[in-house]
Amino acid sequence: MNTRTIDTGAPVISADAYDTAAFHAAADTIAVVANTTAPDAVSLPSEDASTAELLAAAREAGFRAVPAPLAETALVARPLLRRAGLPVPDGPLSYAIAPDLTIRYAHPAASAVGSAGSSGDDDTLRVTGTLRRVPWARTATAVVVLAAAPFGPALFTLTPGQAVLTPGGNLAEEPRDDLHLATLEIPASRVRRISPELLDEARLRAALARSALIAGAAGRCADLTVAHTTARTQFGRPLSRFQAVKQEEARLIEETALVRAAVEAAAVPLDTGGTAAHVAIAAAKTQASASAAEIARIAHQLHGAIGITRLSPLHLATTRLWSWRDEDGDETYWARRLARPLTATTLWPTLTTTP
Amino acid sequence: MPPSTPSPTSALSPIAFPDVALPESARRLRAEVRAFVDEERARGTVLGRPDSWLAGWDPGFSRRLAERGWVGMALPTEYGGAGRGFLERYVVIEELLAAGAPVSAHWVSDRQAGPSVLQHGTEEQRRFFLPRIAAGRCFFSIGMSEKNSGSDLASVATRAERTADGWRLTGTKMWTGGAHVNDYAIVLARTDDTEDKHAGLSQFIVDLRAPGVRIEPIHLMSGEHRFNAVHLEGVDVPDGMLLGERGGGWQQVTGELAFERSGPERYLSTFPLLVSLLRELEHGSATAEQLTRVGILTARLLSIRRLSLGVAAALDAGHSPDTQAALVKDLGTRLEGALVDTVRGILPTPADPHATPGSHPELLAFALLHSPGYTLRGGTNEILRGIITRGLEQR
Repeated sequence: MNTRTIDTGAPVISADAYDTAAFHAAADTIAVVANTTAPDAVSLPSEDASTAELLAAAREAGFRAVPAPLAETALVARPLLRRAGLPVPDGPLSYAIAPDLTIRYAHPAASAVGSAGSSGDDDTLRVTGTLRRVPWARTATAVVVLAAAPFGPALFTLTPGQAVLTPGGNLAEEPRDDLHLATLEIPASRVRRISPELLDEARLRAALARSALIAGAAGRCADLTVAHTTARTQFGRPLSRFQAVKQEEARLIEETALVRAAVEAAAVPLDTGGTAAHVAIAAAKTQASASAAEIARIAHQLHGAIGITRLSPLHLATTRLWSWRDEDGDETYWARRLARPLTATTLWPTLTTTP
Repeated sequence: MPPSTPSPTSALSPIAFPDVALPESARRLRAEVRAFVDEERARGTVLGRPDSWLAGWDPGFSRRLAERGWVGMALPTEYGGAGRGFLERYVVIEELLAAGAPVSAHWVSDRQAGPSVLQHGTEEQRRFFLPRIAAGRCFFSIGMSEKNSGSDLASVATRAERTADGWRLTGTKMWTGGAHVNDYAIVLARTDDTEDKHAGLSQFIVDLRAPGVRIEPIHLMSGEHRFNAVHLEGVDVPDGMLLGERGGGWQQVTGELAFERSGPERYLSTFPLLVSLLRELEHGSATAEQLTRVGILTARLLSIRRLSLGVAAALDAGHSPDTQAALVKDLGTRLEGALVDTVRGILPTPADPHATPGSHPELLAFALLHSPGYTLRGGTNEILRGIITRGLEQR
């Protein structure tokens, strides 16, 4: 996989830096993990990377708790911009899908047909409202917004500097910022009319990117737990020698494998689109979100007391699991979308759509 | 704390499964199987019942399936097989199980006996058994477990004593499915006393109608007669029926485990009950809560199928993914049981074994009465989880 430095000025943080104070301080300034000589840096995939490669990179980012919107940039914002025909800015990107905004033409047509403001001289927009909990907004060079405009679905970009930013964070203290837009003018050059299908694709992309991150964090839980139960000795033997521990550890491995398989199964369908994409991605996010609880539970239980402190890196993975399972649609949302079209006759053909 | 050496997730072998791609021929094959199943459904033989690979015994169905080339289909054509790939076989059996088709008559012949005779058998054994298996006219049972040898298989007490022209088998095999209706059993017996209990075991092909074989029914808690105790009371087995090497029994048995543990029968046994649930839900409009629970089950089925196909792809490529197969079996068979309880919760229905056969309450009762077996057969799940953690240590 080719790599590309997209912000050489930004510090590179090792996601294996377990000093959480430094972790959070750096998170404010980090742009994106760039291509460097640091052996453990995660590089941003090149623009021509395949979906499978992008998912593998996102999983790796989730595994290492990379403090940057790598998956958001590579799997969601960039492809959406390309699909809409807008230039792809350098640097980390973020997105907001179907936010609750008031959007009008900035230049309503003088001789409007229909109600006032229902057509415009051009597609320059005036946008009011709040984009809520935008991932990494404070560090993003641009935010891709998909919303209903007067002419139908639109995709446009804005820079966070144009908005009033209220900082926020998820359970892992990853930035989730509100951006307040007060009659912000978006020039027509940054606006594209899009199909409803692209709006749906955006939801699918975001859900799959999040699922890949979850698969990575799950893998980290499994890795850390195996390392801990192998190294930690009680009653004169490693924890991993206790049958009760083995039984739980095996379930942790299984659940982790399950999430990973669900994500990998969605790589090809995302490219082909259609029903296959809907089924595979709804299943991937449902499974990833639904498995998060069991994975975090077992990892913490087998870590004992150290796992609930910042002396152990486990929290980097488990707090992300608890956040990411809710983001971009939780298992309830996606399970319903998966189940709604199913009938006794279509269930099996649906399950065998892929491969 | 110094950063640990980065360990890319790809190095986690037990959670990383091979990529899966079905051959292009699989799409056409799947359509052919569906058309066949539709015909059989119209004929009244495919009833959409759970656990049809244990309980759906219909030799006529097996023969018609064999006429299509779908029994022993991965066996070479020179032995009467169809010379199809392992993944193509996967497509056929997952279609049959999902439809609840009666596949138990030929099940062991197709899954284990055929491949085992092909791999370990003499040329004479291959020429005799394989064409009969592929024709759906030779049905096998497995004689491994004993009263005191379940998970601890190497402790089998059945003995084979050398005679002038063969072997004399003495002992009792337990839980032998279909021994009362099948033709042969592959029996694991001790041929030599060795310090290592894994050595000295051998496999024999035993004619279930031979003198000295006494078959005693063991009724399931539902009252069904599927299992038997097979008493071998000095059964003479000719030399030509030793399967594989003398003393090689343990390797032969354990070498098949990945095939036995990772197939679609390890997560689809109760799938027909989910189909029945959806049929019931079509009478009204499903609530959001019902949809959620159906969706969560469906996502898990899809994900486990992907893992199972990953093991199939690895087997097809000639690997021995024993750890991954154990993982699939634990996940899949736990789902088989959980599905029954979840379906019961989604649409509260009193299970009724006396309701109209094929009705939802009757299928629920049937799946429920079979449910404790899902996580026992083919290796108890607690033991399988031990195999998974051992796989971690060996990395």
